[in-house]
Amino acid sequence: MDSNLAISARGVGKRYRRLLRSERHDSLRDLVAAGAANVFRSSAERTAAAERNTFWALKDASFDIEKGENVGIIGLNGAGKSTLLKLLSRITTPTTGGIQVRGRLGALLEVGTGFHHELTGRENVFLYGSILGMSRKEVAAKFDAIIEFAEIADFIDTPVKRYSSGMYVRLAFAVAAHLDPDILLLDEVLAVGDYAFQRKCMNFARQLERKGATILFVSHNMFSIKSMCQRVIYLKKGEVVYDGPTAEGLRRYEQDSKLADTPWFHPADGGARVRFTDVELLTADGRPSTVFAFGDTMLIRLRYRAEGRIENPDIRIGIDRDDETSCTTYSSAADGVPLSCLEGEGVIELRTPPIKLVSDLYVVNAIVRDAKGQMLCAQIGGRFHVNHPVFAANAYGVYHEPGAWTVNAGSVERREIGYGVG
Amino acid sequence: MTMEAAAAHTPSSDQIVEIRPDRGWFDLDLGAVWRYRELLIVLTMRDIQVLYKQAALGAAWAIIQPLFAVAIFTIVFGIFARMPSEGVPYPLYAFAAYLPWFYFSEAIRRAGLGLVSDAELVRKVYFPRLIMPLANVISPLIDFCIAFAVLVVLMAFFGFAPSWRMVFIPPLMIVALLLALSVGLWLGPINVRFRDIKHTLPFMIQLWMYASPIVYPLTLVPEAWRWLYSLNPMVGVIEGFRWAVFGLGELNVGALAISAAAIIVLLAAGLVFFRRMERTFADVI
Repeated sequence: MDSNLAISARGVGKRYRRLLRSERHDSLRDLVAAGAANVFRSSAERTAAAERNTFWALKDASFDIEKGENVGIIGLNGAGKSTLLKLLSRITTPTTGGIQVRGRLGALLEVGTGFHHELTGRENVFLYGSILGMSRKEVAAKFDAIIEFAEIADFIDTPVKRYSSGMYVRLAFAVAAHLDPDILLLDEVLAVGDYAFQRKCMNFARQLERKGATILFVSHNMFSIKSMCQRVIYLKKGEVVYDGPTAEGLRRYEQDSKLADTPWFHPADGGARVRFTDVELLTADGRPSTVFAFGDTMLIRLRYRAEGRIENPDIRIGIDRDDETSCTTYSSAADGVPLSCLEGEGVIELRTPPIKLVSDLYVVNAIVRDAKGQMLCAQIGGRFHVNHPVFAANAYGVYHEPGAWTVNAGSVERREIGYGVG
Repeated sequence: MTMEAAAAHTPSSDQIVEIRPDRGWFDLDLGAVWRYRELLIVLTMRDIQVLYKQAALGAAWAIIQPLFAVAIFTIVFGIFARMPSEGVPYPLYAFAAYLPWFYFSEAIRRAGLGLVSDAELVRKVYFPRLIMPLANVISPLIDFCIAFAVLVVLMAFFGFAPSWRMVFIPPLMIVALLLALSVGLWLGPINVRFRDIKHTLPFMIQLWMYASPIVYPLTLVPEAWRWLYSLNPMVGVIEGFRWAVFGLGELNVGALAISAAAIIVLLAAGLVFFRRMERTFADVI
């Protein structure tokens, strides 16, 4: 392994068994029964069944990461990002290939794993520190700094089950932040927590970066990826489909993530009878755009292809914030728009009222329900940014609406502000 | 290169960790356990700290549990059934034998269920998984020590002077610990896959206890069956305790040899089995 490499992966693959509900052997009795049934199947049948029941969460992944590099790992849910991190952090072993890792590796896959609720903050600092890979001596030396970082000095001898969730996460993160790894694996779960905490996480990552640490960063948040990483590895269905400069990787990802099926949608039988084939986000005057100002009107244009006739459909177009918070939904049925049917190919356009969202990254989702309320398709795609002149990120709520203010009892000034701040 | 460069357990920042799929059947990599000994200490401490937290009586339970069990034995077997006790007051007789059993049953219970009750840890963090059953069989030693103090008090109460033979108690406990580990290495991984172990364990422990000379003397077992009975590897330890505490009979070398043989076979095979299974712990737990 080259001495300036931090990570070198060659042909790494991980195969999992896909257990169908009927084949789950959660108890010994089930296994014995299934084993007995298996005896009566031919070997060809068995091989076929084994093939059907396994899938590659990661396939033949090869890459080198140099010391000090910051690499973003992107991909849709189930693309193999978490599997890759699990392999790198040695929580599970690969099925094929091998990885070489040079130096101390710290994995922040979930903050606070290993905390014990009954133990005090102090006891947990030592417990969690050891779990993350620090020696007791090291934890003892960094103890004061950890407590200061976490801002919980008063509660250090209280069992952590009495902590608020914010305190809990802060303490856990403070321990992790003092691990001082050569290589840091950061999962997007870090993005939970309040805004101040997120900022702390990012600052911590930047600090490590300055010290020359190698960082692997998994996230759905393209903003953070863009600001942190010069290079991205794009995973798609377990395979590395792109490895290179961030801008190009993000472009491909955005293109691919246009109108993917939502992870929670499972077409009941025979697949979706209707699909959206394209989504366009346009300004009020019809120009394609991915950036909208607070107060702008947005034109969402969807193309669909339907099999057969779908009578009285309800078309719902929703807007989710990047952290999967559902912000709003427009529904043709709720808006009282009579749509007699969807048939063949066609276009649906929605002109939104002026956008009231604060600055952040958003994504459009589109759902079709039939007259009985059954979901026929649920897709997600089409990302856009909103720029609000004052309110950024999610620190100030989901939306902003001007209010009517009266300041001072004596004041008669009553100012109402309409739409269109931007 | 070794695999264990991860984090401070080996402070060198230039060591290379190899992550490979198959490490073969007999690559036990016990060195990893040694490098992670600090985590072993910390997890053992955690088990001890947590056990009696938020229990009003706290560590007193380590005294109450065996005392209560022996009180019941005394009433049922000592008074009602008039079980012979080789000239020693029955409560003391039963307590001395119950002590190693109290440790052993608690150790296999914790080792059997430990991996699953710490599933979060197994799923999210790397460490040599062997640390887990090791911590599980070490931590009940504390309860044993507390209960042992009770034995000394009971001996004083019944007017028994401690014997020099009691120096054999630590080695006997090492045998009990290794036995518990041998059993735990099998139960733990099986429980990861089949939670049936959780439900089976209480019966197993109870059955095993009555198959051991705790509430009755070994001499009560018919001579013809004694060889079969002695295949129970805990017999040597329990008999050893009675010998060490009361000087009853001789040190049962034959039974202890069986314990040793069981440890060698179960432990060696258990280590291989455990290492084989641990690769998929995170995937199936």
